[in-house]
Amino acid sequence: MIADILYITTTRFLYSLPILTIAILAAETLNSGISKEKIGEYLRKTRRNIFGTSLIGLVTPGPLAPYLPLLRVLRDGGLPLPAVVAFITSQTLVGPLRAFLEIDFFGPAFFAYRVAISFFIAVSVGTCYQLFGNHIGLDISSSKTEHER
Amino acid sequence: MMKKTKEICMKSLRDMRTIFPAFFVATLVGVMLEFFIPENIVYMVLGGNPFLSVVLATILGVILPIPRYATYPIAFSLFQKGASIGTIFALISGEVIIGSPDRDVMEFKYFGWKSFVFRGILCTVFVIVGSLIVEALL
Repeated sequence: MIADILYITTTRFLYSLPILTIAILAAETLNSGISKEKIGEYLRKTRRNIFGTSLIGLVTPGPLAPYLPLLRVLRDGGLPLPAVVAFITSQTLVGPLRAFLEIDFFGPAFFAYRVAISFFIAVSVGTCYQLFGNHIGLDISSSKTEHER
Repeated sequence: MMKKTKEICMKSLRDMRTIFPAFFVATLVGVMLEFFIPENIVYMVLGGNPFLSVVLATILGVILPIPRYATYPIAFSLFQKGASIGTIFALISGEVIIGSPDRDVMEFKYFGWKSFVFRGILCTVFVIVGSLIVEALL
């Protein structure tokens, strides 16, 4: 049984290996092609717009961590917290590497729904911040971050 | 151009070094689930009642320390065993709500704990809603 498990695991892994390799290469190519400065510029242009930042988040490649310092600077510069969290939410839910894997495992329809619903989730989270943020003590509009108050 | 290509290749190789082992282990876990967990149990827990299975999958996605991208082989095995598509959606989306420790610490530090917790709660709720929509539509 152990031999069977290892055989099936290795076969499946080898089957996934080409798509995984292409996905990683494509994600890194996109990551190097789209600079943080460019994302920052787009985010500045969509000030106060939850829809805009959610859309930018959907197409922003790579992990979120490198973008967090930039988001903080933009927040200090006046980008409202609802727009920031909308970006964080959509950026983490979808990514180029995920696109390859999801289409390979579950088909294009599943991925299309994931993108559409991730956008809905990001906009909803941003809207809830806008509506209820003040009630729970979050500073949603000013440029100061919560811990600085 | 050559320098950029080399940089992309080096970064990709660095990613592969972390993603490939995690993906192999996840594939192994998925195959073991197929071998050891009976189909009717998977269907009962993750495919029977859509509301309960979606909530359970979202919570599992949030709390289980599954590495990035390693959810897919496990989700695929569960799907083959009878888990519903909404449940798979919930598991994959729930996994990203709480990210890597470095990302969470930075978010926590930059935007405050209230924002971090509030976003986590809202994301969990909306992932459940979104998964139920997928369950109904797909």
